[in-house]
Amino acid sequence: MTTWTTRRQLLKGAGALAAAAAAAPVLAACQQTPTTPKPGSGKVVVMTDPNEFSDNDRKILEDATKLKIEIVASDLTRLYAMYAAGNPPDVFRVQAAGVPQYISRKMVKNLQPYFANSKVLKPDDLAPANNYYRWDGKVVGKGDLYGMVKDWSPDYTLFAYTKAFDEAGVKVPSDTTPLTYDELRELAKKVNRKTAGKRVYWGFVHSNNDQWIDRTAMNMLAEKSQTLYSADFTKLNISGNPEALKVIRYLYDLAADGVHQTPTDPSPNWMGADFNNGQVAILQYGYWFSAMAESDTTKGKTVFLPAPTWSGVRRDPTMTATGWVVSAQTKDPDAAWAVFEQYMGGKPALDRAQSGWGVPGLKSLYKEMPQQSTFQKQVQKVLQGELSNADFVLQFNPYLGEQAFSTSWIKHLEPALKGSITFDKFVQNLETEINAAIVDGKRIVGN
Amino acid sequence: MTGATHALERPAARVAPWRRRGLRRAVTFYLLISPWLVGFVLLAAIPLVMALLMSLSNYDGLNLEYVQFVGLENYARAFTDPDAQHALGRTLLLMSVVVPLSLVIQLALALMVNQPIRFTSLFRTIFYLPYVIPVVAAAWVWKIFVDPTGGLLNAALGMAGAEVNVRWLVEYPMVVLALLTIWGAAGGGMVVFLAGLQGIPAEYREAAMIDGANRLQVTRHITLPLLSPVIFFNLVTGIIATLQILVQPMLLAPGILGLSPGTVPPRDNYLYAVHAYLEIFVKQLFGYGSALLWLLFAIVLVLTLVLFKTSRRWVFYGIEP
Repeated sequence: MTTWTTRRQLLKGAGALAAAAAAAPVLAACQQTPTTPKPGSGKVVVMTDPNEFSDNDRKILEDATKLKIEIVASDLTRLYAMYAAGNPPDVFRVQAAGVPQYISRKMVKNLQPYFANSKVLKPDDLAPANNYYRWDGKVVGKGDLYGMVKDWSPDYTLFAYTKAFDEAGVKVPSDTTPLTYDELRELAKKVNRKTAGKRVYWGFVHSNNDQWIDRTAMNMLAEKSQTLYSADFTKLNISGNPEALKVIRYLYDLAADGVHQTPTDPSPNWMGADFNNGQVAILQYGYWFSAMAESDTTKGKTVFLPAPTWSGVRRDPTMTATGWVVSAQTKDPDAAWAVFEQYMGGKPALDRAQSGWGVPGLKSLYKEMPQQSTFQKQVQKVLQGELSNADFVLQFNPYLGEQAFSTSWIKHLEPALKGSITFDKFVQNLETEINAAIVDGKRIVGN
Repeated sequence: MTGATHALERPAARVAPWRRRGLRRAVTFYLLISPWLVGFVLLAAIPLVMALLMSLSNYDGLNLEYVQFVGLENYARAFTDPDAQHALGRTLLLMSVVVPLSLVIQLALALMVNQPIRFTSLFRTIFYLPYVIPVVAAAWVWKIFVDPTGGLLNAALGMAGAEVNVRWLVEYPMVVLALLTIWGAAGGGMVVFLAGLQGIPAEYREAAMIDGANRLQVTRHITLPLLSPVIFFNLVTGIIATLQILVQPMLLAPGILGLSPGTVPPRDNYLYAVHAYLEIFVKQLFGYGSALLWLLFAIVLVLTLVLFKTSRRWVFYGIEP
């Protein structure tokens, strides 16, 4: 009575098992969580970008705090997975856009009491970009501190590749008088170049390949004391706000002009790498990029320019404010703070200031920024002018994830640029999707 | 009589040898499958159940404090979500192109490398190679290959005459995605077909040829029917794999972020799993994203069951159950 497994049964079984596993891959990401220390274990888990945190930094911090530090590479997906597992990192790297959301969802710890007692991080010494980590329950920039920038830059400044200007027979703009955005658009068209259908220079590339497009729009609008969202953040309002509509139209036109990297005219590279390769005439990036702007190709041909203005009001805040926060669920907040404090105000902070990869988070370290080479001196000259226009914050929406706006923008921009939908429909799609996401976000936090 | 009594008593006192053998076989069976079974329960079954529970909630993946039961709301939402419908349509279109083409190519490759010719092993290795290349590397190579400015494809097409500047990933993103998918899966399917081909006794083909059948007739009437269980297997697994495609369109999308929440593939390559991924990790709608994935599971299940039903008509087994 032996029963043999037939090929039919084997194939049926294999098919059924494969079907059963069909939904698993996407969810599998949720299972990858490193360990978090038990109280008093003396270990602090830090989720940060390994490119910004050397092994030497770790050793310095371990020596200074007598704690063991475990580094987990920054990854939004992984962060969510760790929170989902109830096991978030003790300290993690964030950008300004995510801060209101993390605070409103009670995910991060109020560090005000720690700052009040710190001998390393004094409130008077905090650079203006740290205001992005203040939240009073309604707006960014007011209230208690929940974190701090590791460094920052006035981010709307421009880098010009002079060779592209020379070849176009166009004068490189002044590094003392800011351009208007309209002038910038006209200039971009002149230096933009394709030969036999192949890209030679992109005229003006900005917003980190549109990943930060909302931040660009928000700063332009803020010059006219306007915002993308209603005062209570419950609505994205473009079509009902003529000023917002003008800004969005401008950014859309830049994409349609073919001077910017878009879904219909993409680059296989990151825009910074394209600048280094001599393929971008004007690049909008902050001071931090000056540390790498001069490649073998662009050396001696790069000029740092002040941020353009939309309506004549000079505003050049950071749009990233990359920094650290402490998880509200950390089992050892004192240990987490000790690591945080030393990273932000100890030897690693001094090293970062001297590297030129950003303006320090502490004003007392400003003097440490490098200014040896001719380019560094020119950069510093422009930067000093921009720092006086940097004491602003962008009002990020607490009900939206960091990339909700940019993802929707890119998704709907492609059919618009291809002519499948009109500009009005593009705006309508953007509003519909973002407003639905706001409703979801608002419902989750329950207010 | 004594003998008869003993014969009656013995079964009650001792376990029958066939039963002992059965128990041993069962224990052996469960021991042998236990590594897989434990893995399945921990890495697939439990996450699936958790995803099912998640799909009935408003969970945002960040904070359990705000979780609420929402019933079937997430499932209902999927039926009115235009992006979900668009993504499902694109996924089914990709499947209907990729699966048949893949089967034909895999079978053709297997038939070729099954011939008794020189360098067969070399060709088998070459054809199998794409299957073992990590998908990230493969997508990157294809991205460079089809790049409008420095890509080999345009350069090769341009050798025939005028300069070619086709922006493949902008104008024909789904063609590139389909080619990448077919190319990547070809080696794996070929090996399965090859195993099937080598399991067909040579006598069958020889007998047919003695009866006057030519090569085409042998393939049509002998090889393909005997290979039908393997075709069926590759068909089912191919459909399942294509419906789940997530990584390739994300890697082929503009930018360098790859599989990360900042990546948005072109509308043509906006597939179902991509939509679920973005709903989960960009909008933080873990509940809705889970519901989308469970609906995908239901679609896979229905398609698989339909295939099993129809298989009775065209799949021939050497040993019938």
